Amino acid sequence: MTNITATQAQATHMDNTPSAPSAHVNTHVEHPHTSPVLVFGILTIATIVEIAMTVLKLQKDILVPLLLGLSFSKASLVAAYYMHLRYERWIYTAVFIAPTLFAIFLVLILTSSI
Amino acid sequence: MNPTSVVPRPISAETEHANANRKFGIWLFLSSELLIFAGLMGAFVLTRRAVFVKVEEWFTPTTFSTSLVSFNTFVLLASSLMVVLGIDAIRVNDNAKLKRYLLLTALFGLVFLGGQAVEYTTLFREGQSFAKPFGTAFFTLTGIHGLHVFAGVIWCMITWAVARRGTFTANNYTTVEMFGLYWHFVDLIWVIIFTVVYLTN
Repeated sequence: MTNITATQAQATHMDNTPSAPSAHVNTHVEHPHTSPVLVFGILTIATIVEIAMTVLKLQKDILVPLLLGLSFSKASLVAAYYMHLRYERWIYTAVFIAPTLFAIFLVLILTSSI
Repeated sequence: MNPTSVVPRPISAETEHANANRKFGIWLFLSSELLIFAGLMGAFVLTRRAVFVKVEEWFTPTTFSTSLVSFNTFVLLASSLMVVLGIDAIRVNDNAKLKRYLLLTALFGLVFLGGQAVEYTTLFREGQSFAKPFGTAFFTLTGIHGLHVFAGVIWCMITWAVARRGTFTANNYTTVEMFGLYWHFVDLIWVIIFTVVYLTN
């Protein structure tokens, strides 16, 4: 299936007669399909690793950054592949990333106040 | 009759424009929800640090609660997979599979809520409450997340009911996508909560 944008679809199909090819095609953006089961597998393995690190009682200075890094990676995977941010318009990413950065900043500011 | 052999009706440019607006709207909504949870998580972390500095009265999770919460995390991740598979199904006009995956998503959501109910009951029995520092921070953050999951389950069932009428096709499934985005967001927030509240406790 070829990737077509809404603009291209409108430009190439302007005839609305029943015998003509469909005037307006499905404009859901087609993109390379990453297996959702593969992503689920990666998320599961990452979660198991997180739990294992906690059980092993690693040093706090090493454990906390590792856990936060893994957690952020998992969240990024969900956003990129399940929410399709990787293939969507940049504006959706911007709308989602901006408050994320603010959220991180907010938590850092709050925790550094003690 | 093979449902994928039915040719979906093409959509108009106006509908396509409306769908794009709706998707943008849901992304704006999710970004506002992100700010809500950012504030709640900040409050949780701040309370935890304040309590540790001044009063050593914080709660240490037992093996039971960590196991239960780990199970809950896998359940929510699996529910996100169900949503993705459902959307993949309607992309090829398979409405039957979409309905099946929506039901599974709702089921997993209810299992998650059941796990939270068990956890809350255990904590209350151990003497935790809103009057204690841990209770205030924990129940507020996870309770509001739980409410989002509950709302998501209701939304899922409404989407399923609409799918039963054959409304969704390969050219018309933006509504399902919107629900999917919300559900994945709820899962994404839980991924962060699981680490911040339980694993780094």
